[in-house]
Amino acid sequence: MNASILFGLLIALMLTGMPISISLGLTVLTFIVTFTQVPLEAVALKLFTGIEKWEIMAIPFFILAGNFLTHGGVARRMINFATSLVGHLHGGLALASILACAMFALVCGSSVATVVAIGSIVLPAMVAHGYPMAFGAGVMITAGSLGILMLPSIPKVIYAISTNTSIGALFVAGLLPGTMLAFMLGFVTWYIAKKNNYPRMKKATWMERIKYFQNSAWGLMLVVIIVGGIYSGIFTATEAAAMAAVYSFFVSIFVYKDMGMKDVPKVLRDSANMSAMLLYIITNATLFSFVLANENLPHRLADWMLSMNLGKEGFLFVVNIILLAAGNFMEPSSIILIMAPIFFPAAMQLGINPVHFGILIDVNMEVGLCHPPVGLNLYVASGISRLGITELTKAVLPWLGTMIVFLVIVTYWPWLTLVVPQMMGML
Amino acid sequence: MKFLDHLEEWIISFLMAGATLLIFVSVLHRYLASAPIPYLQDWMLSLNLSWAQELCIIMFVWMAKFGAAYGVRTGIHVGVDVVVNRLEEKTRAKFVLFALLAGAFFTGCIGYLGAHFVWENGGHHDIFKWLHVDFGDIPEGPTTPDLEWPTWMVYCAIPLGSSLMSFRFMQVAWTFFRTGELPHHDHAHVEGVEDTAPLVGETLAEGEEITHVHLGQGDKEWAKSHPKEGGTKS
Repeated sequence: MNASILFGLLIALMLTGMPISISLGLTVLTFIVTFTQVPLEAVALKLFTGIEKWEIMAIPFFILAGNFLTHGGVARRMINFATSLVGHLHGGLALASILACAMFALVCGSSVATVVAIGSIVLPAMVAHGYPMAFGAGVMITAGSLGILMLPSIPKVIYAISTNTSIGALFVAGLLPGTMLAFMLGFVTWYIAKKNNYPRMKKATWMERIKYFQNSAWGLMLVVIIVGGIYSGIFTATEAAAMAAVYSFFVSIFVYKDMGMKDVPKVLRDSANMSAMLLYIITNATLFSFVLANENLPHRLADWMLSMNLGKEGFLFVVNIILLAAGNFMEPSSIILIMAPIFFPAAMQLGINPVHFGILIDVNMEVGLCHPPVGLNLYVASGISRLGITELTKAVLPWLGTMIVFLVIVTYWPWLTLVVPQMMGML
Repeated sequence: MKFLDHLEEWIISFLMAGATLLIFVSVLHRYLASAPIPYLQDWMLSLNLSWAQELCIIMFVWMAKFGAAYGVRTGIHVGVDVVVNRLEEKTRAKFVLFALLAGAFFTGCIGYLGAHFVWENGGHHDIFKWLHVDFGDIPEGPTTPDLEWPTWMVYCAIPLGSSLMSFRFMQVAWTFFRTGELPHHDHAHVEGVEDTAPLVGETLAEGEEITHVHLGQGDKEWAKSHPKEGGTKS
């Protein structure tokens, strides 16, 4: 009964179009006043203590690092390097953009930032080479979503916080699936390009490749800092994020010089704006899950789901369907914050590995980012390519289909996600 | 008003940069303190930076609260607007106004509750003490673990930030009521592409640069020598 009131109220408020954070907060406030004895001061205090966690602080740092990388010329050099590697194949520039996205994703935790960083350079270049804009945009939208699958990722941090899973393990767990997705997207791209005879480039010599590698090495070094730092125990995930921010600032301003000191305040302001928005949703979602836990709802839901005897496979199927459906309405962080605490207890009782479950949710979020009505990657790509959303939705279909196939693979083949963290001794 | 806007922006930028530098320094410090370099190590060990983590969290929470208020002004707080946007213009306007006022109401409530909480947890005691007002047996509030700052001062972020946010919501609602315009954070807006014409040229030039270096020849020449693949199929 209480559960239906709680969720009914939340959905009703959300549908009025008010910010998700506000609808979460208002639901909690109304519910506490009318149905519980929880003192109201607890709400105000929770708004502070809700984000008073060291792990959460990784989010603003990763956002700041991502903004420096996007504007600081790191992306451009990665594209050059990627082009020198695969540019001579069918659909060379498109393949290079996928590879560049994968490289950029290794150091950046946001898929929108990846689309902006790589797409705004590659798309005009692709058109200049005679590729249809829709083809390029379709590639960019899906390849950009690698941003939240490879290594650092903001959705992963949020999942880790709301379920107490190891951030480090989640980071590396995305490595192999991410590589696989990049190959799958690359294969589809190559096939389409071959069929339509899209332009190829002259093969770069090894000397050129080495030269481009050296140019992009400053950016790629960041992978070493993040991975090496966390796994050797020199610093925590949050400290790694802070180091990444300082490092990318240094590289952008003093090494590549694509950005001047005068651009720094704007980057700081934009990063603060974006992080504050996320942190505000997180605080209100913490309030919400506090009320859920207070009503013991997650465990009751878990028992209910288990009583349906779906089995592990059936449960994962249902979770995928619900997450994909939610992806039609909300952006990733909100979905994870609301859904993860609900599904997690049931998943644990079914013996699903928390890291595997996290990556599964992450891939679902990637799919949600690539289709309308709320897929952010789509809107960003539309901003760059100036194609309409309808047109882009059609353009993205072949790759979106690939991602669904990939989602099924990730869901029912846990080895793919778990082998790397196991090898590194993190599980 | 302009002053308030600038102050807001200045505060969040400063907190963002400050927290990043703080953690950078503290990691560096920890690393150097364990490195066996004479004198430097001793000097490093004499500094105690164990409070850095706590200060960083406080800075970010303050940034989050004021940034959230700034975000109302820039329209970054997203909602589920798929349904509302399909409504007729007049009905939609009513929903938007309702949503904005609900935002103002919620943040206002939190601001009030936060102020109450701060007052009861040491604020009352300390403020009366400064003002030399007799505070009777009102107890002193708790302090934070590492920095030993009074928690009520730290928690001031909630009433201050939330009230400011409430004010921003009302401001946006008023503007919307009068002009029908909403601040809109356009994720689709990508700098250097839409903004100004010269920047578009620049991006294209960058693209050209890639190809020229790779092909070793101009586009036209290249198209000539690759008649089959070089077609401008679109």
